[in-house]
Amino acid sequence: MTDPMIRLDGATKTFPGTSTPAVDALSLEVPTGEIVVFVGPSGCGKTTTLKMINRIIEPTGGTITVDGVDVRDREPHLLRRDIGYVIQQIGLFPHRTIAQNVATVPRLLGWDEDRTRARVDELLVTMGLDEELGARYPAELSGGQRQRVGVARALAADPPVLLMDEPFGAVDPIVRGRLQVELLDLQARLRKTIVFVTHDIDEAIHLGDRIAILNVGGHLEQYAPPEDILREPATPFVEEFLGPERGLKRLALRTVADLGELGLGNCVQADASVEEAAQVAAEHQERWIGILDGDRLRGWAWVSDLDGARRAGDVETSLFRVALSAEDTLRAALDGLVRSRTGVAVVLGPDQRYDGMITLARLNQAMVS
Amino acid sequence: MVAPGGRLMDAIVETFRWLTDAASWTGPRGVLARSLEHLWISLVPLASAMAVAIPAGVLAGHHRRGQAVGAAISNLGRAVPSLALLVFGLLLSVRVLGLGFSFWPIVFTLFFLALQPLFTNSYTAVREADPALLEAARGQGLSERDVLLAVELPVASPVILTAVRITAVQVVATAPLGALAAGGGLGRFIIDGFGQKDDGQMLGGVVLVAVFALLVEFAITRLERRVVPGPLQGRTDAAAVVATGRAN
Repeated sequence: MTDPMIRLDGATKTFPGTSTPAVDALSLEVPTGEIVVFVGPSGCGKTTTLKMINRIIEPTGGTITVDGVDVRDREPHLLRRDIGYVIQQIGLFPHRTIAQNVATVPRLLGWDEDRTRARVDELLVTMGLDEELGARYPAELSGGQRQRVGVARALAADPPVLLMDEPFGAVDPIVRGRLQVELLDLQARLRKTIVFVTHDIDEAIHLGDRIAILNVGGHLEQYAPPEDILREPATPFVEEFLGPERGLKRLALRTVADLGELGLGNCVQADASVEEAAQVAAEHQERWIGILDGDRLRGWAWVSDLDGARRAGDVETSLFRVALSAEDTLRAALDGLVRSRTGVAVVLGPDQRYDGMITLARLNQAMVS
Repeated sequence: MVAPGGRLMDAIVETFRWLTDAASWTGPRGVLARSLEHLWISLVPLASAMAVAIPAGVLAGHHRRGQAVGAAISNLGRAVPSLALLVFGLLLSVRVLGLGFSFWPIVFTLFFLALQPLFTNSYTAVREADPALLEAARGQGLSERDVLLAVELPVASPVILTAVRITAVQVVATAPLGALAAGGGLGRFIIDGFGQKDDGQMLGGVVLVAVFALLVEFAITRLERRVVPGPLQGRTDAAAVVATGRAN
């Protein structure tokens, strides 16, 4: 493993006039190129911890290094130019255009006009913002657009590290979901080291490569990939914080592709004999059978309806109404499965090719193994 | 028999006659010369007060210090009547500094008059900048100087400019007091007209002071549109300008 981009070693913050530290000797490492989410209830010190990394809040103890350098060895404003920073209220400069806002750090770094303009245009495109928005002022944009501008501004000088403090907390759930997906897309391309603070465990599970669950006083309850946390909560606090439906949340983290080869399932070719069809259905303990035309799935029929027919394909079939693809989550698979008359979820590949079917037993096996 | 309001009518006619008499306008004691004097005795104290109070207020606001001093200045400024300030200006000019009557007493008076609203509003405008905006600015790597010059000042500029406008109008409208201390300016017509029982001249002076104040207000409003960043324009008058009202 490469060296971690960010290392906290006993990081402590005691605010003036208080005796108990807001963050008490917190140690953890943020691996390069990963999204680490700090999550926990109010007062757990997650935001304080984040802000100690770029010295918006000065640590009162311990050591924090970014890219191997102690943050206290650098001038705060110079340190911050290498660390993108996005906050919930965004804080765009109201008297500057969108393009000028995005150009903030390049200007500070003394980039020339052409390079800056090219970078701003590139970022607006990257963030899915119309280039003509560059000439507008923040007050003229929607909340979602402003938040994208906030991310663009943070990314402008291509810093290796991005700190995000509840960045999507103030937008409505639909926009939030979209911004989350965009962030993951962006991260797939840019591979930044991102520290992301939220109080929303579902957001943490969705976005994090690793999740740090903090308790009051910056006490680290568990620090692990979301899958591990959901499978094995380290403490009762974590278990409670994860809330109900842990199994469903885990299902949401994995995709159909993760199940690997599914096999043919309860299906026969249309030219198979009725006897063969009945036998396959019996092996699967089902009263229906799927009918295939080569690599296409025609539909399904009740075994009892096959009586008197010669071939399995001679009878009317019903369509499978829910079809999944490899990228769908196992949670979607479970949803499809419980809504289907046959009790299975069908998986189709490119060009509608039949790739197999998922049963409850298969899901269960994947989650407990 | 004289109709009720006949005296008033007479006064209006006389004022009109005085204002339209070419002799009132020309010469070293005419309206034009007095207007220039008026401009001068207003501009000198206003500009000096701006040079002192705005940087002081902005810096105090940036460092979030001087709250107590600010409040003291603000309260004192509001409590002391302009006439008392004039007495103070007189004493300072004549007794302390030996600068004599006429010009300096009113200049000192108007300078002290202008300090309070300019300081208080500059201080408040900067101090009340959105904390999230400042955090974002620092988080991007702006130095403290950049934060002050590139964020706090532009964001505070509408309120500061509005304070300048209101203060300027107040200064211009208070400048006639200077005539009591043998000063020049449009106040002369009011004081001299009163002394000579020349209602036309006295009321003409009042009209001229009012017109002068309106012109100043108009001119600074135009200036505001040029200085204040576009997207920040037009949302200050209601939001801002504390404590320019005072006992006169």
